[in-house]
Amino acid sequence: MTAVTGSAASDDAEDVDETARLHYAREAIEHAYAQGWTDGLPIVPVTEAVVEEFLAVTPRDRHEVVAAVPHLGRRCTVEQAAVNAAMAGCRPEYLPVVLAAWDALMNQRVVTGGGWQSTSGPAPLIIVNGPIRGELGINSAGGVLGPGFRANATIARAVGLVVRNVLGIRPQELEQATQGIPGRFTLCVGENEEESPWEPLATELGLPAGADAVSAMLLRTCEYVDNRHTTDPEGVLWDLTDTVARTGAVIGRNSSAGLLLGVEHAQLLAEAGMSKADVQRWISGHARRGAADLRRAGKEIEQGQDEGTGELRMVPDPDQIPIVVTGARNAAMSMVMRPFGFGGWSRTAHPVRRPAVSESDGGNRS
Amino acid sequence: MFEKMIDPTAGPDVAAGDAPRLAERTDRLDGLTVGLLANTKQNAAAFLDAVAESLAEEHAIADVVRRTKLSITDPVPPDILTELVDTCDVVVVGVGDCGSCSASAVVDGITLEAAGLPAAVICSDAFQVSADAMAGLRGSPGYRYVRTPHPVASLDADAVRERARTALPEIVGLLTGARPGAVAR
Repeated sequence: MTAVTGSAASDDAEDVDETARLHYAREAIEHAYAQGWTDGLPIVPVTEAVVEEFLAVTPRDRHEVVAAVPHLGRRCTVEQAAVNAAMAGCRPEYLPVVLAAWDALMNQRVVTGGGWQSTSGPAPLIIVNGPIRGELGINSAGGVLGPGFRANATIARAVGLVVRNVLGIRPQELEQATQGIPGRFTLCVGENEEESPWEPLATELGLPAGADAVSAMLLRTCEYVDNRHTTDPEGVLWDLTDTVARTGAVIGRNSSAGLLLGVEHAQLLAEAGMSKADVQRWISGHARRGAADLRRAGKEIEQGQDEGTGELRMVPDPDQIPIVVTGARNAAMSMVMRPFGFGGWSRTAHPVRRPAVSESDGGNRS
Repeated sequence: MFEKMIDPTAGPDVAAGDAPRLAERTDRLDGLTVGLLANTKQNAAAFLDAVAESLAEEHAIADVVRRTKLSITDPVPPDILTELVDTCDVVVVGVGDCGSCSASAVVDGITLEAAGLPAAVICSDAFQVSADAMAGLRGSPGYRYVRTPHPVASLDADAVRERARTALPEIVGLLTGARPGAVAR
């Protein structure tokens, strides 16, 4: 903080003043840590004025309940979600996406049950469709699951801070994750609609083309499938299916699977004439394990076997294999993802609700 | 300092639920109908069956009513709760051996007590913290339940029966006047 020019006393005073303000900001962050309000990373201090900035960009009432865990008797209002979104580092205009993410999550049976407290430590996956991806800078291409994109990182984190601060579910207390999964509360992806050969997920789920929408589910993990080896669509499908069918993912009657399909794999399958539904049916039909394999792994499964072959169908319902096209078109790799919960995925997309555009602002959203 | 900083945990619903209310208990189980509320965790039904077997041998209970809660993470559904209240005198709940199901088992115990049925909830000791936190959250700090060593799911049939026999005195204690169960703090 040494003033290089050092001659003017007023410059020195400004330097001292700015340094003091920065140190005060740091103390505010330390205060939040001391209160137990953070997920381990620093948060943004929030004031009433900040909350109002956030509430100004949603048409929803501040008292509307957007999240709840009935068995804990805990609920979260729009206002509480706004406070935690601001703390998470969201810009105000991200709030409508955060709220739509909660709409989507609250439609998952596992979320309204005890899912947040599970030993599996599942992560919410938030999938965004529509032009709002470009408007807010939600990444849908290179490094989509990784760091570096404020909207992706903070929208997912805003959900996690609500779970911690409003629903009161904290690790090693009400939350009993054995290990949890890497990337918990960081998984927000845009679908790469521009390079996907198929209709967007939100359109598949019944919303109008071009709708800004969010879908969500809880995941137990993502596992890569790197197949840059073939142009044969069946080869790629078998490679994906081998991961889908691994015994370690089986619990209860069957397993669970979805695809975060890379652009190249998606285009290869589409060029072979396959729709998303065709891919879902193929994987559902081929992802099987025989009783001997399961027995060898110590898993005597008593239900869910195919009547003819005695094999276990890993994901018997093709509709329960969500497919999202995301990531860069620079290598033929994809992720098998593992939706969590026996109740199944809701197969719903939820509109991002924003204030009506007024005449006076020339059609721009603030 | 920092009093202008908004507390992200503050809100209308932070207060805990109603104050704890335990059901009236009798001194003996003789002649009573015992409800078994099992979740679908591996060995849960077997554990409760073994408890019922021992209760029948040692306490001359009148009858056993078995109900299974299909969602391990959700609280007991209203229809099953009504059936238990209508047909049983006491209920044994279990087995809470995962993060979400131990928490919901404790909620079920508190719900049954509030409905007038003495309940004994069995949780594995690996989930004590979670079960205790649930009890505190639902307004019953100090709620007692039976702890059995973790794990339960991987035990064979004989080991499950042995566990049930070991837990029996505590279960009987919780369902009758004496309450020597684990105390949630």
